[in-house]
Amino acid sequence: MELNGRARPAEPFDRLDTLTPAALRRWWTKRLRGVLETAMSELPFYRSRFGAAGFDAKEFRSLDDLRRLPTFRKRDMLGRQAELQSHALGIERRADGRVGDTLTVSSGTSGTTFLTVNPRWRRRQGRSSARAHWWAGFRPGSPFVISAPAWHAYAAIQPYLAEFFDAPCVVVSGTYLPRYADRIVDALRRFRPRYVTMFLPMVFPILAAARRMGLEPRALFDRAEVLLVTGAPITAGMERHLKEMTGVGRIAEVAGATEGVLAVSCTERSGLHVVPDTCYVEALDPQTREPVPAGRRGSMVHCFLIPEGSVYLRYDTEDVITRDDSPCACGLPSPRIKIVGRWEASFRLGGETVVAYDVQLALEEAVPETVGMPFVISREGLNCGKLRLLMPEPEARAAALAERIVAALAERFGAGGEVAWVRELPLQFKGVAPVLSETQVG
Amino acid sequence: MTDLRDFPFYRPRLDGRGVPAPWSVEDLEDFAGAHDDPFAGRVRAGAKPRVALQIEATSEPPVWSSLDGRDLDAWAGAVSRLWARFGLGAGDSIAFFDYGSNPCVLLSSSIYVSHLRRGAATRLGASVICNDGVASMTARLLGILEAVHPSALVIRRDLIAPFVDALGTRGLPPGSRLRWAAVSEVEGAPARADAERLQAAIGAPVRRLLRADAAYLVSGDCPSCGLFHLDPAYRAEPLAGGGVALSARFAAECPAIGYRLDGAEIVGRGCAAERRAARLAWS
Repeated sequence: MELNGRARPAEPFDRLDTLTPAALRRWWTKRLRGVLETAMSELPFYRSRFGAAGFDAKEFRSLDDLRRLPTFRKRDMLGRQAELQSHALGIERRADGRVGDTLTVSSGTSGTTFLTVNPRWRRRQGRSSARAHWWAGFRPGSPFVISAPAWHAYAAIQPYLAEFFDAPCVVVSGTYLPRYADRIVDALRRFRPRYVTMFLPMVFPILAAARRMGLEPRALFDRAEVLLVTGAPITAGMERHLKEMTGVGRIAEVAGATEGVLAVSCTERSGLHVVPDTCYVEALDPQTREPVPAGRRGSMVHCFLIPEGSVYLRYDTEDVITRDDSPCACGLPSPRIKIVGRWEASFRLGGETVVAYDVQLALEEAVPETVGMPFVISREGLNCGKLRLLMPEPEARAAALAERIVAALAERFGAGGEVAWVRELPLQFKGVAPVLSETQVG
Repeated sequence: MTDLRDFPFYRPRLDGRGVPAPWSVEDLEDFAGAHDDPFAGRVRAGAKPRVALQIEATSEPPVWSSLDGRDLDAWAGAVSRLWARFGLGAGDSIAFFDYGSNPCVLLSSSIYVSHLRRGAATRLGASVICNDGVASMTARLLGILEAVHPSALVIRRDLIAPFVDALGTRGLPPGSRLRWAAVSEVEGAPARADAERLQAAIGAPVRRLLRADAAYLVSGDCPSCGLFHLDPAYRAEPLAGGGVALSARFAAECPAIGYRLDGAEIVGRGCAAERRAARLAWS
């Protein structure tokens, strides 16, 4: 639908979805000012930080004013955690002292920090997350299978989503590991949800479990209209592969960060729209800390816009993203981002900084039959300046395939390539190629 | 009052007085398999579950329980009274080294499950953190002890070994404020030796939990008498050949009446710590 030459969402979640991009920027400015004022008056971490930067939240007039606030990273919070000897970092806003908080974890290779959530956070974040799921195509009434309850940030909001969408909340026993895949298969068979959320690394173990149980994988998803995947950036080839494997008509991607980033793909599938009442997201040059031009890669820096629980403002998640402010044909006003990896997992190749996503993309474009093949990028190979991939050996024509893969890698990255066939790789590596030492692969 | 004749699982099990013959997890699995019914006939025809919980102790096929908000709040009340009896209070934190699907975890915060109004721990003013229940997360648990300073730890029995090993290598993190721990088992209660092993490693009392998810049972042993105290939310009756028939008074959507708890025996009331509590011995 178009209004004054601008596309409008066919089914807006609410009025916020119908704003123009300019109006959304004004909305964001007002919302941010309120959050910054709350942070300054109630949260010790920001009070001292704003004071040191000579920043007064009352003078916050436009989104450009954010540049006056320094960014911070996980290592800063880990340092503060060690210094305070506490998970409470002075960024936590409590709803009600009589009710205990619930903590979730933000794990990573550098260490674990903790986020506080509470019932007020649940209501506000829940509604915003419902918007994200609405965009992805979720509608009321279908059972909602929770992805391993209690311990991760997404699980903290899924029970609310089940309530919001008036859906039975389905709790599978165990956790999201391949050895519990048969239990998830049972949940999908029994409750036949129309909308399914899943971590990408678990999709393939679940399909494999279905086959072991004598089920056609597509039968698992026979009623599913949307498969919402998260946990790794998906390429167009992976999207097609998932469609083919599951038979689901729409594959949506949701991405974010535990510290309060949420973005989801729309029907146009050209990036993930930032969910505006959860966060404001910038893409900054890692060195200059200035915004990068559209399409260029930067560091994801965000402000969490729900002043409840742990509040992260101008936090650099150290994810590699692009940001696109151009109008989207779906009509949603918020910019689109794509998180393609993490700087800490990036590597230099042929004079360029590369993430595993780039390798996957290059392969699927040049050698389409590699779509859906798990692979590992060898750390030892990178140390020698070459892209050595460990891949499960196909049943036929392995040498010819290896030759084409090596040629494609050389063409795209201008660096030497090599394929080492292995007997098998864990299915979780499908679509989420890790950089590992070959000793870890065994 | 729940009329068990409305429930296909119970209907053929009822005697002349309307009392069902005691049943077990295997009976549920048999019914679920024979009737292709995930709830094993324990839900009224046409009922729409608000929350469906896969029972961890069932596998062939997995069987599900159905609960609404009132069931969940009542069940969380029983868990809350247990945590309070163990010593959890306002300002404390409780850490879980188990799957979030363990009802002891799931019911502890209203964040964790739909339609639960007040979590078992959060209603006491205590904070909650779950580390997930996989051994590879042992190092993260040490980080939780160091930064979150929980006063209580609930750990699944098979995770005691990696946890104790890690403590043997790295020691209890500085700043740890653990006052007590509790060990849970998927079905039944862990052996005393498991609790003692953990107790020696952390230097704090370790309680044992008795769990039967099909009957919504969560009970804890008593430091004073060593027996499992039953919350008033449950009713236990002795079975002729030994064992106990257990019922959950609160479960209306998916009733649990007459669950056969083999290995349990009823012991008279009269513990000095909680005089009116019904008690179970577990072997």
